[in-house]
Amino acid sequence: MAALQEKKTCSQRMEEFRHYCWNPDTGQMLGRTLSKWVWISLYYVAFYVVMSGLFALAIYTLMWTIDPYTPDYQDQLKSPGVTLRPDVYGERGLQIFYNVSDNTSWKDLTQTLHTFLSAYSPEAQEENINCSSGQYFIQKEFHAPNHTKFSCKFTADMLQNCSGLTDHNFGFEEGKPCFIIKMNRIVNFLPSNNNTAPRVDCTFLEKDHKDFKPLEVDYYPSNGTFSLHYFPYYGKKAQPHYSNPLVAAKFLNIPKNKEVIIVCKIIAENVSFDNPHDPYEGKVEFKLKIQK
Amino acid sequence: MRRKSLPEIYSIEVNGTKDIETTDTETSGKGDGKGKWKKERLRNHKDKQKELKKDLDLDDHKLSTKELEEKYGTNIIQGLTSRRASEILAQNGPNVLTPPKETPEIIKFLKQMVGGFSSLLWAGAVLCFIAYLIEFSKDKSASMDNFCLGVVLIVVVILTGIFAYYQEAKSTNIIASFTKMIPRKAFVIRDGEKREIPAEQLVVGDIVEIKGGDQIPADIRILASQGCKVDNSSLSGESEPQSRSCDLTHENPLETKNIGFYSTTCLEGTATGMVINTGDRTIIGRIALLTSSLGHEKTPIAIEIEHFVHIVAGVAVSIGIVFFIIAICMKYRVLDAVIFLIGIILANVPEGLVAAVTVSLSLTAKRMAKKNCLVKNLEAVETLGSTSVICSDKTGTLTQNRMTVAHLWFDNQVYQADTSEDQKDQVFDQSSATWASLSKIVTLCNRAEFAPSQESVPIMKKIVMGDASETALLKFSEVIIGDVMERRKRNRKVAEIPFNSINKFQLSIHETEDPDDKHFLLVMKGTPERILEKCSTIMMRGQEQPLDESTAEAFQTAYMELGSLGERVLGFCHLYLPEDEFPDTYSFDVESMNFPTSDLCFVGLISLIDPPRSTVPDAVMKCRSAGIKVIMVTGDHPITAKAIARSVGIISANSETVDDIAKRLNIPVEQVNKREAKAAVVSGMELREMSPEELDELLTYHSEIVFARTSPQQKLIIVEGCQRQDAVVAVTGDGVNDSPALKKANIGIAMGCAGSDAAKNAADMVLLDDNFASIVTGIEEGRLIFDNLKKIIAFTLTKNIAELIPFLIFIIAGVPLPIGTMAILFIDLGTDIIPSVALAYEKAESDIMNRKPRHKKKDRLVNSHLALYSYLQIGILQSVGGFFAFFTVYAVQGFKPDRLLYLRPLWENDNLNDLEDSYGQEWTKYQRKYLEWTGYTSYFVAVMVQQIADVIIRRTRINSIFQQGLFRNKVIWVGIASQIIIATILSCGFGSVPVLNFTTLRVQYWFVAVPYAIVIWLYDEFRKLLVRRYPGSWWDKNMYY
Repeated sequence: MAALQEKKTCSQRMEEFRHYCWNPDTGQMLGRTLSKWVWISLYYVAFYVVMSGLFALAIYTLMWTIDPYTPDYQDQLKSPGVTLRPDVYGERGLQIFYNVSDNTSWKDLTQTLHTFLSAYSPEAQEENINCSSGQYFIQKEFHAPNHTKFSCKFTADMLQNCSGLTDHNFGFEEGKPCFIIKMNRIVNFLPSNNNTAPRVDCTFLEKDHKDFKPLEVDYYPSNGTFSLHYFPYYGKKAQPHYSNPLVAAKFLNIPKNKEVIIVCKIIAENVSFDNPHDPYEGKVEFKLKIQK
Repeated sequence: MRRKSLPEIYSIEVNGTKDIETTDTETSGKGDGKGKWKKERLRNHKDKQKELKKDLDLDDHKLSTKELEEKYGTNIIQGLTSRRASEILAQNGPNVLTPPKETPEIIKFLKQMVGGFSSLLWAGAVLCFIAYLIEFSKDKSASMDNFCLGVVLIVVVILTGIFAYYQEAKSTNIIASFTKMIPRKAFVIRDGEKREIPAEQLVVGDIVEIKGGDQIPADIRILASQGCKVDNSSLSGESEPQSRSCDLTHENPLETKNIGFYSTTCLEGTATGMVINTGDRTIIGRIALLTSSLGHEKTPIAIEIEHFVHIVAGVAVSIGIVFFIIAICMKYRVLDAVIFLIGIILANVPEGLVAAVTVSLSLTAKRMAKKNCLVKNLEAVETLGSTSVICSDKTGTLTQNRMTVAHLWFDNQVYQADTSEDQKDQVFDQSSATWASLSKIVTLCNRAEFAPSQESVPIMKKIVMGDASETALLKFSEVIIGDVMERRKRNRKVAEIPFNSINKFQLSIHETEDPDDKHFLLVMKGTPERILEKCSTIMMRGQEQPLDESTAEAFQTAYMELGSLGERVLGFCHLYLPEDEFPDTYSFDVESMNFPTSDLCFVGLISLIDPPRSTVPDAVMKCRSAGIKVIMVTGDHPITAKAIARSVGIISANSETVDDIAKRLNIPVEQVNKREAKAAVVSGMELREMSPEELDELLTYHSEIVFARTSPQQKLIIVEGCQRQDAVVAVTGDGVNDSPALKKANIGIAMGCAGSDAAKNAADMVLLDDNFASIVTGIEEGRLIFDNLKKIIAFTLTKNIAELIPFLIFIIAGVPLPIGTMAILFIDLGTDIIPSVALAYEKAESDIMNRKPRHKKKDRLVNSHLALYSYLQIGILQSVGGFFAFFTVYAVQGFKPDRLLYLRPLWENDNLNDLEDSYGQEWTKYQRKYLEWTGYTSYFVAVMVQQIADVIIRRTRINSIFQQGLFRNKVIWVGIASQIIIATILSCGFGSVPVLNFTTLRVQYWFVAVPYAIVIWLYDEFRKLLVRRYPGSWWDKNMYY
């Protein structure tokens, strides 16, 4: 019966394993002799070299077939996302809480805006041209230098009171803060099919704030529109210096010491803001609490 | 003679006691408290053993009635008193077999839940919940993904567990059949009066009465008997009814006629007996105990699967831990690292494999059932394929289990008769006048008769009333002459002396059929020497000649020749009584024998044998070419056994036994070099003298072995001997006494027609037609399924790498996750299930019966070649294909490969809603997430497409797919269709279901991986081509799995 028992003691197993690792009788390590290991390794090296080559070739072909200016598909980018500056995230989405009297609590916020707007200084925008048409800036040809397309200038001063130039504190100090709303870039995206420019519309989230007075907002540029001459975007390669148009919203009647939810929507024909899955598509929601 | 063998039957138990005894003395030497307790327990055990031993020295059959009365404190006429009976009952317990301790169903179920891969999946599920809890405690709105994954994992584990449990529950319990055999009521004499009590209440010393049709209620010593005959076949394998009387006829309690055994049936007559053993102490009770105390050997396939689980679990856990450490070193959060770990485990565990293997085995089992092999234990399907030794019964399995005329000797010549199943081709010379006389004797001197109303039944299948030899002769003459009954009517029988063991002849006197002929014809048959004694003349070509020296010698030669073939020889003679002495009015008196029984005329010899089934020699040949050793184990005489072994090829034509060599060289047996003899015929007596080492030697050095005159219990010793040689042993058997050997064997094969219930229950397989040839077809199926399981596993393992690499790249190169855990589960349990089952339908690539049985320890189901080729070659190729699909989808949507590298921190940042892609477009989190799911789906589809190529290449291991036939296995195409359909449904229909994370793909994404699928196919064809071209080369050694 004993011979039939499969059970081995631990030391037997160890001994077997040691024997497997190095078998002095046949000169085998891990079941193969050294020369056999070399051969099999060489084969695998060769196999993987060929395979990597194949993969590289495939990726190269893929890149070669892809249009460098426009992506082949924009299945997920039917409608642009919207972002807010300053962007401080809490447990659930954006939440900007600060104390008017405690300037350390909002210094970071204004600093974020300053940093963000530094890309919109006249120097940064030097390469771009001045536009004032208010119409789509369609460019079929590459007329700009280095075989690119022209981009329109957007400088911080267009945001007037919210440019950080006149009011260095973006109104945070006085409890009437400026927020900058940016629409995500999508190549060849036209906000509307007619000539109406997309407009930012900020309100209190209705269901939560029925008892408030409607939100009073000053939009910069006036009307809170993104001028159409910033559209369409032709991609990084065609418009290397393109910068997104911005809209600043200065909230004038935020109740103090109270958490409010504000939603800023982009009103335009081709921008949807009712995707249940994506809270940042076509709109941006944020919590705001100003303490005094 | 057989008495001595008895202790050996229970040798395991007895040896066990010895072991215990030694430990006993050791522990008692130490004498600590623990040892004492142990001693106590051991003593109980020892007592039990002693009791068993005492029972072995059964000598009740040798005692006189008086002594018995004394021993059991009973009275033959009065019986026990009720009080005494109840006392004994209280002491010995009821007369029932103790059922074996059963594992509770719930434990069996739980065992299925934690065995194999299940424990890995449980670990995965627990990790999922932990991850979810950590996330939840940080952020109440944490995503439910981990939680859902944990739930899904548990569901998977439970479902596969239920599936496995259901399969196991099907195999039946051994003891059930023993219980069924228990008789219900018994007539017992107590307090001087006869009463009927439940058999459970019988106690030792009770006087019981049995009659025809009853089952014997306990082991009894027969005190009086009137023509009592019992059927002991379930116990000893003897199929003929055994008479029981009160005489001691044999030393061995099993052989003697004055003991009746529990659960055997009384066929006719009545008997009175004294109960000498009850319940578990009866012979049958001990066999039942022995059977249930023998652990079943693990089936080879179970060992293989375990081995495979170890490999996969080892790979999963080590890769998981390595990458867990890497992730921690790369400053990932611990929570993330845990999630990676789950992903790696999930990717490595082939969740669907157990189900696929089970389904494949049951499909094969079904196919085998069609070929008359009923498989009770699914894993036995494969065991049969790895069988290297078959210990086969002779009677009924190798032979037809009916006596048949094999040879005739008349006119100084031996004629051969047709012994095939229908006996249609009788070719011997029937023109001789001697044959006419002989056939007359055969017809007339025969008491066997066909049972009425069987006109339409073929002769060979007709039911006959009479003993085996007479039946054979009756059928033989019916086939050749026809209408025996009518002939008998024409030759009216006037007197008859039936065969008995003292006379050793049978005689009858008939009127002749010619009405004018007033002679009486005396016909006689019997043992040849006895018949010859009574003859003074012999018939040659119809003429009576005086029986001289030379004819007597010719007779002797023929008799010896037929006898050496293991055949039962009968002599036939006749005498026409002179009309003047015996006129037709003469009254014959069989008591006084008022007629001559000497100076008869010898006519001829007929020899009978239980002939081999016609399919058996072929099947044995097949076994031989398949490298399977066929050992015959029989209770029959060595000569008969050897003759049958020769005729079926178990001993091949040109091999010799030691005796044969001795005879040929004319030297004493002792001088023969035993190694020279290929064949060996070993009798039970020789076997008993052998030490285990000698048996080992015997089994190693002789390739053709016949064990004759073995007590069926010695089968167990033979089986163990074979298993010591690392052989996978199949054992056939039909009696209750075979059940220990059947259970001990790696695969026990019971006979469906002749087999007892106990044998059927102990066996793993039941042969519905009792035919040895069916075993061979079973072996073929078993080997095929082993090959096909290899293919299934190779197929299943391949994609594990394609599921694993994404996690590794994800951790190391920081790309978005290419495939989610849900998609992995859907590959393992969705698209891959049907194709892998379809591989079970694959036909053999070459003649699988031309190779050696696999070596239990060397030819593993999963060997390193299979693992390396699947993991490191095809698996890596698949991953490359999958990644190409992944990169393609991201690139055409805006994220070129270079952008993806190390993008992970930004990509997964919930607070970044303007992530720039390669074109300067900005993506919100959800837009990225959706793209990620599209990536999952496309990777999933890519793996699915390449698995189509994989299932095609896995159909063969060495042949080109075109040699195998592209459409020969149609189920494969069903499988491929199922892959595509399931993937389409998932991609199109489940896009909106949360947690599943499938999206609808653009049509062109489905074809991205197709070139890789073609590369896989071409590469494998190339591999097979080189393996075929250069057998034995480096390539063959490393690339053939």
